Amino acid sequence: MKVVTGVVGNDIHVVANRLIDLSLRARGYDVFNLGVNTHLEEFFDAVVETGAEVLMISSLNGEAEGWGREVKLLKARYKTIDDLIMMIGGNLVVGSGNSEEIVARYENYGFDLVCHQVDLNTGLDLLQALLKERNIT
Amino acid sequence: MSHTGDKLLIDVGSTYFKVSTPDTIEQYFRDFSKDILDDLMDRCGDVISVYDKSDVYICSSANGGLSTLIIGVTNSFSLKYATNIAFNSGINIIDTILYQDIEEHSLPSDLIDVVIIVGGVDTHANLFAQPLYHYLGQLNCSNIVFVGSSQDAPQIRDNIENVAILPTIVDEKLHIVEEHLKEYLTNLYQQDIEGKEDIKNLYDITSNQIFATPYIVNRALPLINARYSVADPFILLDIGGATTDIHYSKDLVDDNMVTENEYDRLVFKRLGVYKSRQSLILAAQNNEFVYELLMHLKVTENILVEQSEKATKILMQLAIFLVLCKMSHYQKSYINLKLLAINSIMLTGGITKVLTIEEIEVIIAFFYKKILTSDHNPVAILDTNYDIWTLGAMGE
Repeated sequence: MKVVTGVVGNDIHVVANRLIDLSLRARGYDVFNLGVNTHLEEFFDAVVETGAEVLMISSLNGEAEGWGREVKLLKARYKTIDDLIMMIGGNLVVGSGNSEEIVARYENYGFDLVCHQVDLNTGLDLLQALLKERNIT
Repeated sequence: MSHTGDKLLIDVGSTYFKVSTPDTIEQYFRDFSKDILDDLMDRCGDVISVYDKSDVYICSSANGGLSTLIIGVTNSFSLKYATNIAFNSGINIIDTILYQDIEEHSLPSDLIDVVIIVGGVDTHANLFAQPLYHYLGQLNCSNIVFVGSSQDAPQIRDNIENVAILPTIVDEKLHIVEEHLKEYLTNLYQQDIEGKEDIKNLYDITSNQIFATPYIVNRALPLINARYSVADPFILLDIGGATTDIHYSKDLVDDNMVTENEYDRLVFKRLGVYKSRQSLILAAQNNEFVYELLMHLKVTENILVEQSEKATKILMQLAIFLVLCKMSHYQKSYINLKLLAINSIMLTGGITKVLTIEEIEVIIAFFYKKILTSDHNPVAILDTNYDIWTLGAMGE
């Protein structure tokens, strides 16, 4: 199973990015890590180049809020990534907010799995459950 | 004056040729009614005859080089990487096509020297299918090279006749892998130069390989500090008769490419002051700041259609301005350089024989003030001996 991951926008939280990379590899995923400061188009382009089944975006300073709004529009331009599983995690807003509202907002942006302030291992368990549910091996 | 040991160095351009001996560098305006060798021997046969064939080194950019069309699966990786490699190999890019849109893309009417197909890391497969083969079937091209996923190579080989298959240029970390494609394109360029009758004849006076001039200039860049007081980072503008080349340090670009080469090159094919004069004038007329610049230079737009020494000077000044515009955020191009970070702008090519340093500085200052709204003023350095290329020619 291939996963493209990275930190979206002008966000340089590299430690979390490294932990995600290591944790994914430990669970047997093939990881394509784009690192920090990654633009949305680069994420989708990396999915096309690698044939990844999962796109896992992380964000720790609320940066994802602005970029998230562009996801549906941008993804619609691609002709080969309709089945992509899209996951986002981290601290997804600036300051605090109602978690249920935040998750609903990001699901509306087009993400299949939203992990706002959820610890990494729990998030990866949720991903595994989703893959199983959709019969993706 | 430069000392080049006992070598005789010759650069054959589209407009001039330059001959460098240990004591002097001479340049000559080409006589287009003659074969290059005949022209060369008429002007400086006495100098050439003194040298043994093994001591004569020739490079050439005459006849414009090769053209390429690149077909890739994404803008951020495959197309971007292939474009970068093609530019650095001295190839002119006619067009780039995003593979998913290939069915809507029109066919270029000109003969394409080489089509580059790129996409996918080695662990991915089936990126290309019938639409690619259908498009290539209608295309008029001389060479096709595939630099995508190795898993797709057999299918590509089965469907495209005489395709050259090379390793992918996108590695498993999604980084660029330059060397194989660069070597392939450089060799094609080399074969093209050697295949031209005019150039073939030059082997009568040299027993060394004739190289492409852009390759030689790129090789000279790390050595420039040895001869000139250039403050890094710098750009080198080579404004010639048919094209304008920009060589720049990688520090000046924001992108996601990690390469082993320190410098990149970009070519503006129809921006020269002699053979491409008309397209240069057209580009000037389409730039809203040019009229203000002409006023600043105390001339009117009528100068663009005049044939005089003054008009040539103005055109060369405009060429500098237009090239800087093309590299700035003012015009979205393949690359936008961080021009506010530049400390030196070095100029070479025919322009160095016509413009003074003051005439160049006035353009640079105008550009920074009007386009970048900054008082930043990088130092202009003129390669007045016109000999940067000799650094590269002596490199090996």
